[in-house]
Amino acid sequence: MINNIDVILVLILLSVLLSLGSSRMMTLIKIMALQGALVSLAPIFLDQHSRLSSGGVLFFQLMFLIKTALIPGLLYMAVTKISIKREVEPIIGYHASIFTGLGLILLSVYITQRLGLSLHGDYAVLLITAITTLSGGLFLMMSRTKAITQVIGYLMLDNGIHLMGMALTKHSHNLYIVEFGVLLDLLVGVMIMGIILHNINRTFDDVDTMYLGQLKD
Amino acid sequence: MHILLTALSLILIGGILPLLMHRWFRLSKIVHITTVTAGCLTGLYGLYAVWQQQAEALFSCSWLHVFTLAFALDSLSMFFLLPVFLVSPLIALYGYHYLDKPTASWRVAVNNFFFSLLIVSMALVTVAANIMTFALAWELMSLSSYFLVMFDFEKEETQRAGYLYLLFTQTGALCIFAAFAVISSHTGSLSFAHIEQLPHGVKLVAFFLAFVGFGSKAGVFPFHIWLPHAHPAAPSHVSALLSGVMIKMGIYGILRIYILLDDPSPIIPQTVLICGMLSGVLGVIYALGKQDIKRLLAYSSIENIGIILIGAGLGMLGISSGNRIMAAFGFAGCLLHVLNHALFKSLLFMGSGAVLHTTGTRHIDQLGGLMKNMPVTGRTFLAGSVAISGLPPLNGFISEFLIYYAGFQGLGLHGAAFLFSMSTIIALAVIGGLASGCFTKVIGVVFLGEPRSVRAQKAVECGRAMQAAMILLALPCLLIGIWPEPFIRLVFASLHDMSPLATISPEILGTIPQNLAMAARLFLGLLFVTIILRRLLYRAKPISQSSTWGCGFTQPTARMQYTGTSYALSMVNFHRPFVRVRTQYSGITKIFPRWAGYASKVEDIAEIGLHRMLIQPLIWVLDRLRWIQHGHIQLYISYIIVTIAVLLLVV
Amino acid sequence: MESIIALGIALISAPLFPGIILKIKALFAGKKGPPLLIKYYTLAKLLRKGSVYSTSTTFVFRMGPIVSCAAAVMVFLFFPFAGIPPLLSFHGDAVVLFYILGIGRFFTMAAALDTASPFEGMGAAREAFFATLSEAAVFVVLILFYRMNGSLSLAAYFSGPHAISLAGPQGALLLLVIVSLFMTLLAENSRVPVDDPATHLELTMIHEVMILDHSGPDLALIELGSFYKLFFYAAFIACLISSPIQAGPFANTLLFYSLLTAVYVAIGITESITARLKMNLVPKYILTSFALSFFAIILTMEIF
Repeated sequence: MINNIDVILVLILLSVLLSLGSSRMMTLIKIMALQGALVSLAPIFLDQHSRLSSGGVLFFQLMFLIKTALIPGLLYMAVTKISIKREVEPIIGYHASIFTGLGLILLSVYITQRLGLSLHGDYAVLLITAITTLSGGLFLMMSRTKAITQVIGYLMLDNGIHLMGMALTKHSHNLYIVEFGVLLDLLVGVMIMGIILHNINRTFDDVDTMYLGQLKD
Repeated sequence: MHILLTALSLILIGGILPLLMHRWFRLSKIVHITTVTAGCLTGLYGLYAVWQQQAEALFSCSWLHVFTLAFALDSLSMFFLLPVFLVSPLIALYGYHYLDKPTASWRVAVNNFFFSLLIVSMALVTVAANIMTFALAWELMSLSSYFLVMFDFEKEETQRAGYLYLLFTQTGALCIFAAFAVISSHTGSLSFAHIEQLPHGVKLVAFFLAFVGFGSKAGVFPFHIWLPHAHPAAPSHVSALLSGVMIKMGIYGILRIYILLDDPSPIIPQTVLICGMLSGVLGVIYALGKQDIKRLLAYSSIENIGIILIGAGLGMLGISSGNRIMAAFGFAGCLLHVLNHALFKSLLFMGSGAVLHTTGTRHIDQLGGLMKNMPVTGRTFLAGSVAISGLPPLNGFISEFLIYYAGFQGLGLHGAAFLFSMSTIIALAVIGGLASGCFTKVIGVVFLGEPRSVRAQKAVECGRAMQAAMILLALPCLLIGIWPEPFIRLVFASLHDMSPLATISPEILGTIPQNLAMAARLFLGLLFVTIILRRLLYRAKPISQSSTWGCGFTQPTARMQYTGTSYALSMVNFHRPFVRVRTQYSGITKIFPRWAGYASKVEDIAEIGLHRMLIQPLIWVLDRLRWIQHGHIQLYISYIIVTIAVLLLVV
Repeated sequence: MESIIALGIALISAPLFPGIILKIKALFAGKKGPPLLIKYYTLAKLLRKGSVYSTSTTFVFRMGPIVSCAAAVMVFLFFPFAGIPPLLSFHGDAVVLFYILGIGRFFTMAAALDTASPFEGMGAAREAFFATLSEAAVFVVLILFYRMNGSLSLAAYFSGPHAISLAGPQGALLLLVIVSLFMTLLAENSRVPVDDPATHLELTMIHEVMILDHSGPDLALIELGSFYKLFFYAAFIACLISSPIQAGPFANTLLFYSLLTAVYVAIGITESITARLKMNLVPKYILTSFALSFFAIILTMEIF
């Protein structure tokens, strides 16, 4: 009665909603770790991919590790090392963000129907989840002040793209390679962010990107 | 129909007689009330006769040998005549003690004249059967209501409000006449016939023009700005008539034009629903934020117009998506709420008038504790508040339930229709919750607790006529609540002449009215049992009086009570992007502060938007055109000649 | 006959369950805790006493307890305890009942404002605000139920062949609904993390501060009403977890009451392990509950 992939997708959508509504940095990072785990687990439960090649398995394991442990771990360290405030500091309030999240889901349902792709069953839901996650990430980047939340938004965006790829392609191994490339980029991005954050923190005593506005002429 | 016209002339006579005999102040008022009441009763009898098909429902005569004035009574116009004839005499009765200024007897007589004229013109609007008649009656209604608002014409606030009202009502009329012009340029006649054969695009243009016009009369969200200004300026019984009865003519207009056009495209219900939800939710939020009791009630009228529009919109959605049950329940809820709102909103305005009359202030944070000195006003106001919050067992719930029912029916639809039905249900739930918050605020701050000022302390109960009017309005609120069957049947019967719904049979109602009645009576029964139980429990128990426990503080004063402003502030703040809250706080500077002030004001975004989008650019453009005005009369004459020449050449 | 017995059991046993919450909380705190029947003792004590009324108050103050208690009892007449058909039921009764609870709340708030106490006014303001939000959340659940089995009455939700439960065809969605309703339950019945029934500072209270001035049998009526209201919400959730089984009313009643106990235990555990939310976070909390059930509706649209 309960379809596994459905449960995972619903949980991913919920994690998007929760991340829009969470006010604490640490909670946000934990939610992102959970989301990473769910996103990387999703392909296993998609019915057509019961058989994975050994390379696929390796990629898959690496991806799971990076998404659930490495990146969130780095972010966690960034938050604890640089003594920044634990509040998320939204530009758009939490209530409005939750409503926006619901609106984004409705919007992605609409877009999915409009695209008119003949996706069957689970794949339509997958696409909806993908678009929601993607736009949720974009929204998070737009509506929060801190640099670290921008990275988290980017992470969510990446999760969305990953899901989108899963929904649209017939899942050849090329996807893994592309995805892996993106993931490495992200990893480098997180590291660079760590360094930059450290520097911003030393210069301005805070990591609010609002301060970067002072750098303009 | 002849009976009805007789009734209308009787009402008009009731307006003219006081003008002739205004020197005998009391007599003129008594004559006014008795004649208007007699006229309204005759009108009700006329409706009954037409209903029983003992009298014909058509009348027409030629006017100035050019136009035909045609009147017709169908079930919809009969239903909208009900609040006119039921509520108006009670408001006239209320006016007997409310306008108690023998020194201003001429002014009162003029007021009574326009009062009669407004009743007559509203009745004419509902029975008008061609474009010309409708337009004439509509203008008569707008102008007579304008003069009613201008009762205290020497006050600056009233002048501004009156001007604003005139501006809105005339712009609205312009839109309505534009819609009629579009229609008659295509049909080639001034009659209401054959409108449904217009091309689709023309229908849409006509509907939206008319919607703007009627919406501005009814107080639909972006066009409502005149309402919260006109009501505080007008005398309370006039506010009751305007808010209880006249703004419903806007709803009548929207329904009438919808029936005439008979266009099934989904864009119409969607627009109506969006406007309805906006008016409903924003109206009640602004009502929460206001401290002027009459302005608060005006915003609450906007909220109720929103609920009525939601009902109408669900009905239209039902028609356009082919769900007849939903259509019938939506329209039925809409109509019943029209009647209900006429009853309880008139009642509430009367109550606020009684408070204003005795305390001289409309600011709720200066009132308090009036229930002890004004038992009748307080109790009837409480009944009105429960009713307007849409709570059982009073009448507001019955109509809201019908609308809910229509909304739930719409959940079976797909796509956009489903989304709209779902959001209306959520909107209704939110409106209901906020409305009960808003009216607990009014009841709690104005009538309960301790008086916050000397004026509130010295309040006395209002005159007998005012009390009688309020009681006579509170009783039907309870009656419709606990005995809804005949009223629901009446509403469904009133839908009969709406052409898209003509085939609706009363069977779809099923046992809903009985069940609602059962629930209301059961609740009253339980209440009664609990009261008896409480009596028994308190038998032979010590009961003593003391002051309120101040949570350890020993010297509480009345000014420490929670004010209405702070009661509502968190709720208002929650909806911040749609409401602008301005606060001024002087701050505390020294160690022993002398004086500190805090003021907050809730602003209407429609007003701000209008000011920014329309008025400021307009003033800018007009400033650029100042050079036309020289002050030389010769130049002005040459302007006139040039204009005439151009017009002659071009047109 | 069965219905009357079921109703009677529910009416009598409702004050027992808050005792369970207290017991659980005491266990978590490492204390022995009050006896299970503590709420009966409290009611009996209150009923024996007289009352002190404030000179500020009017008849509205005395109406508060009566209306709120009658409203809560009214809901019981329509609830199918353990899948046994209730005494009364009609299509649409769910809407009526939530509005009946609304009028109970209206008079509680009015009674609080009648005392002229600043603290009680503050409590009423909070109650009005939070109740609006949770009412929206509840109606979203009603919308979802209408989508699922096309009915609008409590009896049709929880009894009969199309009963809604986790084992039903759309069970996965109900997980969301159960979490959402549980959050609404905590908010509507003034439990931690929204309100703390055991707090001692008037400034931080919501429901308790509104009834500060009530005493004696009036207070007993209010307490009884709030027990019934809590029982109703908990029973709502218990019915969602499992629909009645094919084993006759007795086994069903047993199943129902054990699930109900589980819900109360869950409340007790939640109260023990979570802290009060800051007042300005409560709207977000209730909105989360709203979002969960709204989300469930979106999922029913055409996806699953």
